[in-house]
Amino acid sequence: MGNKAQNVKRVTCNMKHKKRRYQFFANWEPREIEAGLLYESKNSVSSYLNIKSFGRARQWFFVFIFSFYFLVFSAHTVFAQQFGISITPPHLEVIIKPGKSILIAYKIQNFGDPMIIKSKIYSFAPMGNKGDLEIKEELEGPVRFELDNSDISLDQPFFLNSKADQQLLLRIRIPEGAPEGDYYYNLITENVPNPAGQGFSYSQARGRVGSNILITITSTGRIDLKGKISIFDVFSRFRFNFFGKTYRVFDSGDLIPIILIAENKGKNLIKPNGDVILRGNFGEKAIYNIIPQSILAESQRQLSATPSALINCDQGRKPFYCDRDSSFLISGFFLGKYDLSTTINFGEGSPNVYSNVSFIAIPIKFIIGLFAIIIVSLILIKK
Amino acid sequence: MKKIKYFTALILLTAIFISSFKIAYSDNLNSNNYRIQFGNLNIGGEKLNSGTYYLSTSVGQSVAEKFSSNGYIVKAGFQYLKSIIPFSFSISDISMEFGTLTPSSPSTQTTNLTVSFGGAGQYLVTAIEETPLKTFDGLNSIPDTSCDGGVNTCTTTSAKVWASTTKYGFGYNMSGNDIPADFTDSTYFRPFPDRSAAASPVTLMSSTNVGKSRQSTVTFKINISNVQPAGTYRSVVNFTATPSY
Repeated sequence: MGNKAQNVKRVTCNMKHKKRRYQFFANWEPREIEAGLLYESKNSVSSYLNIKSFGRARQWFFVFIFSFYFLVFSAHTVFAQQFGISITPPHLEVIIKPGKSILIAYKIQNFGDPMIIKSKIYSFAPMGNKGDLEIKEELEGPVRFELDNSDISLDQPFFLNSKADQQLLLRIRIPEGAPEGDYYYNLITENVPNPAGQGFSYSQARGRVGSNILITITSTGRIDLKGKISIFDVFSRFRFNFFGKTYRVFDSGDLIPIILIAENKGKNLIKPNGDVILRGNFGEKAIYNIIPQSILAESQRQLSATPSALINCDQGRKPFYCDRDSSFLISGFFLGKYDLSTTINFGEGSPNVYSNVSFIAIPIKFIIGLFAIIIVSLILIKK
Repeated sequence: MKKIKYFTALILLTAIFISSFKIAYSDNLNSNNYRIQFGNLNIGGEKLNSGTYYLSTSVGQSVAEKFSSNGYIVKAGFQYLKSIIPFSFSISDISMEFGTLTPSSPSTQTTNLTVSFGGAGQYLVTAIEETPLKTFDGLNSIPDTSCDGGVNTCTTTSAKVWASTTKYGFGYNMSGNDIPADFTDSTYFRPFPDRSAAASPVTLMSSTNVGKSRQSTVTFKINISNVQPAGTYRSVVNFTATPSY
């Protein structure tokens, strides 16, 4: 590009921007200017712009080039609108008398794009036994909620800028004479979808983030503690019934998946406190602490314990225990008969509940491998 | 030259020393009516009990300072965690435009769902559509998909293969962390449950394991027939993320 005449003046300028190299060059003679912009990426070099300007257009040429520079290097990539909200505290438990009210400060933070959001209270009910919940559309129960904020009300949209946060002062009021019992709510903060431009079909996502509010209304402070163990068992690789007795058999190298489900037959939420203890024939003992997760009124909850082994159940790699919905997993090398026992208490003043299960561990894979080696060896020897 | 070196070293050491200071903040709660200010606390648990009940309280930092007086006890946060961890949920793209829809030529758009809950673990993300895709006047709609039909008939809780270009509708596929196991690969789709038909939300993501950031990708897909009335079709899908109780 450009000619090599002696009266040609040449200017080049090299720049690097976002892993690409740009070279601007200009060759000018008394009556002609040739300029271009080379764009080089990893695999190609191309000429992005190449113009010639004559005579008086020289000054317009430079104006154009500088404008083009700002256009190329200062343009920002446009991203789609992002929803990103965090809420704290994420969980609240209240035990309260009728006629009382409390004030709780929540912090809503927007780490997405600026948007219109609103906060609202919904009732929820437990769904299944894994701590999942189903949000109801209608508010139920006698509890009254309102915001003490002077400029924001519940279910009223307000603007929250990016990286900004908003305090919500939630007043929870229990009317006099409110029926005793448990009432479960969720403070949901959601974005208000903007109608997109017409012309193209589209689907809009409404993001909603919740924080649980578990309320127990009691005038005496007395909590209904009626917990029991529904299921305590292991998901064994093999299971045999022999003379009326069940034998659970694992390979010595297997992880032991344990299922522990507790039931709350009372009218108030309870929390389990206790351990699962593993005892072997050789006197070995391991203790696993049950995590005190809430069991809502008249519901079941699959409990977890710690420490628990972690397994990789990503698609394509699935040990047999990936298909089993276990509470926690015990890892190790097991040989012989083992006893698992659990003792749980659901609150001071409530009786302890017990359960136990046993299993047998045999080095099955090792024995099969050994037999195979012996058989192959015998065959080879005979030959 | 030596003096320059010593001077430079002194400047660098000073800069490192200053940058190692941690600034302490206090939280302010305020409105036009009043202002509450208290420091960032980290206090251990305390047990309250009587003959009739057993309670334990746990308090953590900032907002979760203990409120306790006659008539109520409040616990903010989880008893088995020593500090309050914010619960965060994000959607990378809340408006998915499908462009001009062409019959028997599926159109897809993706968005990422991300849940962050520190080390607290259990959470749940559910989804439900307000209505099927419909025009603004409500007269025409694109039905929710039933996938390829026959043995590959999908439901709101069971994903099946949707690969045929002559099977029409609106559905979604998922990939990533903590998603239902029936999304075997990118050809497996489900329809969204429809709130206008009194359906219940379905679980898209859930986990009982601890994890700082759990992310999944939702792929929306539309395929229309050549008899689909022309128009702009719109739907709103609610994604609700809550910590487990």
